[in-house]
Amino acid sequence: MGWSRLDRRRVLLYGPPPLDQPHPMMPEAPRTDGEPTDRELVELSQKGDGAAFARLVERHQRQLYRLALRMTGSEADANEVLQEAFLNAWQKLPAFRGESQFSSWLYRIAANSALMRLRRKRRAPDGLPDQPLELQAPKFSSEGLLDPPPYSDWSQRADEKMMSSQLGVAIEKAVQELPEDYRTVFLLKDVDGLSNEDIATSLDLTVPAVKSRLHRARLALREKLGDFFGA
Amino acid sequence: MIEHCKECVDLLGDYVEGQLPPEQEKALETHLSMCMPCITFVRTYKATRRLCRTALAKEMPSELMGALSSFLGKHVPGFSCPKSKQGQPEAVAPDSELKKG
Ligand SMILES: [Zn+2]
Repeated sequence: MGWSRLDRRRVLLYGPPPLDQPHPMMPEAPRTDGEPTDRELVELSQKGDGAAFARLVERHQRQLYRLALRMTGSEADANEVLQEAFLNAWQKLPAFRGESQFSSWLYRIAANSALMRLRRKRRAPDGLPDQPLELQAPKFSSEGLLDPPPYSDWSQRADEKMMSSQLGVAIEKAVQELPEDYRTVFLLKDVDGLSNEDIATSLDLTVPAVKSRLHRARLALREKLGDFFGA
Repeated sequence: MIEHCKECVDLLGDYVEGQLPPEQEKALETHLSMCMPCITFVRTYKATRRLCRTALAKEMPSELMGALSSFLGKHVPGFSCPKSKQGQPEAVAPDSELKKG
């Protein structure tokens, strides 16, 4: 019931969430908690049921907030993006045909709203010229060996130090220093747990482009954390 | 067969997400079983994700949820905030497994 062909296709497409990164929203159905599926709530909302729409909002607001926050970089903007996006969704809902998952459709709306807001605001960014694409990356010898090899395995120490505020500051700084395109993808994926597909939809990228930015961002951050740990 | 660390590093993105085709995954693990620098590399690559997640995870503040509800309440007829339904699965932060530090 309420477990449509589309939903099923989505599960096939995305597979189960990777073990190390539970995705909070996917796959959509079937729900084991007896709650209605998104699709059912969408159908009710399309008939004007505001309470059903409220449940959709309740269900998706957190993840949409993360998207808006990462894209705009400000809590106040994220708040406005969210209001605009959900209102927009409510107004456009009668035209929603369900070819895509409701959540992807919603991401797209919120991402557009965030982009418009950014465009309106984008003054000459304070002294930062177009970011040079100098991402740090590991180095290899001509034979393709890691050169220099990583001397120390700081992953162990990292766990002891996990909560140190110095480390927190170092991470904030390292992530801030990433070029924006890389930073947004990295935050959405590795911090917020969106799927590559949802990120691609939201940012209008291909999935391979998402993966490539993600990997390069991780490599650059890994180098910087290595510096922090003196590795 | 993976001979070079570079190939190994290139595949890590998919590897840590469990998205490598089985043959490639096997080849990579074979390389890992013989190459200490790559083992260290993989561990620190994974730790990078873990640390960033712990340091940077953000939850939607409850005031914002309230503001959103009252905003939508003004524009959507019949909009009623389902006062935190018990056990909404989406309420689980994606970093829950990392909360221990
Ligand atoms: Zn190697």
